[in-house]
Amino acid sequence: MATPYLKVENLVKRFGPFTALGGVDLEVYPGEVHALLGDNGAGKSTLIKTLAGVHQPTEGQIYIEGKPVKFRSPRDASSAGIGTVYQDLALNQLMSVTRNFFMGRELKSSLGRLRMDEMNQIAHDEMKKIGIDFSDPTQAVGTMSGGQRQTLAIARAIYFGAKVLILDEPTSALGQKQQMGVLKTMMRVRNRGDIAIIFITHNEIHSKLVADRFTFLALGKVIGAGSKETLEGDEIRRLMAGGANLGDLAAELDEVRAEA
Amino acid sequence: MSDRSEADRLQQETWLQRTIRRPEMGAFIVMIVIIVALTWASSGKAFNALGLKNNIQIIAQYGIIAIGAAALMIAGEFDLSIGSMIGFAGMSMALMLKWGLPFGLGEATPLAAFLATLVMTLTFGWIIGNIVVRSGLSSFIVTLAFLFFLRGVTEVAFRLINQSTQVSGLEDFKEDSWVAWIFGGEVFGWFYDAWFWIGQRFVDMGYGRTDQWFTLGGNLNRRGEQWVDGFDARFFWFILLAAVAMFIMNRTQLGNWIYATGDNKEAARANGVPVNRVKIGLFMFTAFCATLFAACQVFENNTSDAAKGNLMELFAIAIAVVGGTLMTGGFGSILGVVFGAITVGLVANAVFFIPEIDGAWFRVFLGAILLAAVFANERIRKRITGGI
Repeated sequence: MATPYLKVENLVKRFGPFTALGGVDLEVYPGEVHALLGDNGAGKSTLIKTLAGVHQPTEGQIYIEGKPVKFRSPRDASSAGIGTVYQDLALNQLMSVTRNFFMGRELKSSLGRLRMDEMNQIAHDEMKKIGIDFSDPTQAVGTMSGGQRQTLAIARAIYFGAKVLILDEPTSALGQKQQMGVLKTMMRVRNRGDIAIIFITHNEIHSKLVADRFTFLALGKVIGAGSKETLEGDEIRRLMAGGANLGDLAAELDEVRAEA
Repeated sequence: MSDRSEADRLQQETWLQRTIRRPEMGAFIVMIVIIVALTWASSGKAFNALGLKNNIQIIAQYGIIAIGAAALMIAGEFDLSIGSMIGFAGMSMALMLKWGLPFGLGEATPLAAFLATLVMTLTFGWIIGNIVVRSGLSSFIVTLAFLFFLRGVTEVAFRLINQSTQVSGLEDFKEDSWVAWIFGGEVFGWFYDAWFWIGQRFVDMGYGRTDQWFTLGGNLNRRGEQWVDGFDARFFWFILLAAVAMFIMNRTQLGNWIYATGDNKEAARANGVPVNRVKIGLFMFTAFCATLFAACQVFENNTSDAAKGNLMELFAIAIAVVGGTLMTGGFGSILGVVFGAITVGLVANAVFFIPEIDGAWFRVFLGAILLAAVFANERIRKRITGGI
């Protein structure tokens, strides 16, 4: 097996007395979708924020292409090739697609002038590569659908050098059809072969559709991990529920029903 | 049917549709209506030689500070200290010109007085900006504090140094100082020369009478010579400031940062925009605009007093809103603000050309148009953000 682009060993993050992550291991390979699943409060957000350089780990080590690294800021992480697409997407609704695409990293000539035509072209081409042909990049982002915005944020992260793309619940808060659109976009990115995707989700069906590898978190620890082939469908469902058997849940629900 | 995509649902707009939906369109239409109405109601007097000069004087005054206020509003902040900053800058320059530089550095040249004042006002702008971005407090309340603070400092300084809250009868520095001249002199004299020359030809040929606005109306003194021979220098500053601001906002990286900062600060920060530096810089820019306003006033009239610039911050914000700037930031246009300044300036001056009306109607009009503009801007915002 090839070396993982990103490797995390025994990552611990404590906030005062609270242990958010209690020793997490993770390996992410280029050309693969790695689904990170877990219930609310499992530590998914803390993990991705640590990978994105927002938090510094209390213990443990992050490796990029086998070399140990330390992220002091989000900028460190992004220059190491970690592109995070948060749920709010970090987009400005009132600004155009192009101005959002290049926000903070504009192409400029003398006097700080924007090379607008070139930027329009790049924004259009990059978005087309991963699936949407948005004919007018001067349109405000506010007029785009949720799925299109997601695509814009992903295209932007890739264009600016992301080798690991962290997608924070990209399919939540979208309609059925747009969810499929985002999953297709993810598959196109995966097919490039040089980018690893960390796909954070609640949705078991979505993860099974696109993921090559799974890691399940519960209460800050990894409770299960493995590739698509090694994990059975029922096992995935059991791990999704934080380790509990669905049978147990059904029994608990029956108890509540009996109380009525 | 199956290859229909999301992007197809957005209708491509024609050039005309785009033009009509531009943010400055509302301000433009109102401006045209006011110009036509004022021309008609004043029988052209509002735009004869003297009328035009007087109107442009107030338009340029409003415009200079409204551009500063609008740029800051686009970045999502307010500055209520503009008026007091004008008073402070005027006081500082006038006192230095009369009593010399502080710390016994000798007599003040106009250049030294202007630069020393500018250093102080930019420092205040920097302090205000730092307080706002570091504390996270509303700029409304922080700059309100500076509205009182600076006005108080201005009055106290006047009384302590000058024993009176007024400086008048300064020598006319324009005569031999180019610095005084570029702020207080006259510009674009060729415009009036050409107008007078053409009017003279009409009169020579027997067309029209000399009191008609398109010939020589209002531009003949008793000896039959040209009377008005240029605009105030602030007209030049207004045009320059508007052109530079328009260029920066629409065409440069800095402009993109200003819009991004006002739209969604966190999104801008996440993408590497130096949000705090943008805001602090813009607070310094409004301080610069206020200083420019004061310099033109001091060097033109050779006077200053403690009440200068009173309420100007509110006019500046009102004009920015009339020009299509969103109160919530992230959207607006400098061209719209220019149209807004012309509209409000003309109405403020209308009473001089139409003596029958009560001057207080100006404020009634401003209130009404401000409210209408807020509603119109909110509609534009909702249209862009999809009704949220």
